[in-house]
Amino acid sequence: MAQSPDQQTVRRYLQQSHERIFENNRKWVATKTQSDPAFFDKLAEGQQPDYLYIGCSDSRVPANEIMGLDAGEVFVHRNIANLVPTVDLNVMSVINYAVRHLRVKHIVVCGHYNCGGVQAALTPTDLGILNPWLRNIRDVYRLHEQELDQITDDTARFNRLVELNVIESCRNIIKTAAVQQSYQENEYPIVHGWVFDLKVGLLKDLHVDFEATLRDIKKIYSLPSGSKASS
Amino acid sequence: MTSQDRLTTALNRNKEWAAQTAQQHPDLFPTLAAGQQPEILWIGCSDSRCPETTMLGLKPGDVFVHRNIANVLHAADLSSSAVIEYAVHHLRVRHVVICGHTCCGGVAAAMGNKQLGILDPWLMPLRQLREQHLATLQSLSPEEAMLRLAELNVQEGLRLLKQKNVVLEAVEQRGLQLHGLIYDVGSGVLRPMDTDEPEEAGKARLIAYKTE
Repeated sequence: MAQSPDQQTVRRYLQQSHERIFENNRKWVATKTQSDPAFFDKLAEGQQPDYLYIGCSDSRVPANEIMGLDAGEVFVHRNIANLVPTVDLNVMSVINYAVRHLRVKHIVVCGHYNCGGVQAALTPTDLGILNPWLRNIRDVYRLHEQELDQITDDTARFNRLVELNVIESCRNIIKTAAVQQSYQENEYPIVHGWVFDLKVGLLKDLHVDFEATLRDIKKIYSLPSGSKASS
Repeated sequence: MTSQDRLTTALNRNKEWAAQTAQQHPDLFPTLAAGQQPEILWIGCSDSRCPETTMLGLKPGDVFVHRNIANVLHAADLSSSAVIEYAVHHLRVRHVVICGHTCCGGVAAAMGNKQLGILDPWLMPLRQLREQHLATLQSLSPEEAMLRLAELNVQEGLRLLKQKNVVLEAVEQRGLQLHGLIYDVGSGVLRPMDTDEPEEAGKARLIAYKTE
């Protein structure tokens, strides 16, 4: 098929950016192998990450980089606006595998200020298939309507919703049978809520009280051991 | 190291990383605060051994990411659908990558016959591929069969991707490129898969899936 000069330029540019990736990858392998010749051999034996990280898909928040962790150290799930909808099979499978099979010690939910997903949920705009996903954030707003409505500054209200959304995701993780049962038997995992500040690159711990939240949700959501394979 | 120490370590390393990054790339954080224009959407496995930005040698702001168990795409999965819609339609990424890898626990689970509760429906597409390619997979060594299933899964993911109108439209209108990769956990090397298909298949797909 004939291509216009414009299309050819675009194709060439795409080809170059694609090749750069493989070049970078080879460099990374060389650097790793130089400092530890057995680095990849060890990884091939299996993974024992201490952390499960659930964060936003946003390109500005790369999990390993912001936590300073290497390959093999953190199991990662990233979706739009770091949501943990209780009926989402995708995130529920990740939590189940990380807790029951990898026996992670910590689960971190990491949100970030300037989150496009949270911003969209504060805006009366029809976004097609994104609507049902982002509606979860609107539900978080509804749960904290009084607190949020009292904040007069728009940015401050936006930031607070980012934080509350993280806390809600933590709560939904604690509702799972996998987390409740593992904690009862092993005293782990512990669930944490963080927010990443893009402007400075720093993580802020929201100090979610795991024990208290667990006690709180148990009245209604308690799922003690018995059915091993439940979620 | 105690459990609490491990967490403190990550938070401390973040401080070091932020300071170092700000020093090496003084413009990076101020630029990031203004918005994101990633060129790549990465759909990969949650496996801790496959950190996309690190292995690609890229920086914050470069790669939009969805990672789930065994980099599986389900047509009706709202989570990955929302990611693809946002990345392709709103951020207008130029590449979409689906990356499978060797030694994948999800692939191993689908090659076995153990009940895994909620993971079973999630891994169903892998079992469907196992059924479709049973003879081939049985003729291979366990290790080769796992690699083959990982490759088939990437191809299947690309097939599902190309059933989405938002993707078809971007391919047609602005040359969005789709790639299948296999990451070798034992060497750290990324290998591109041959994902060419006959022209006829592309035409049939447009007729069947393209919507206005």
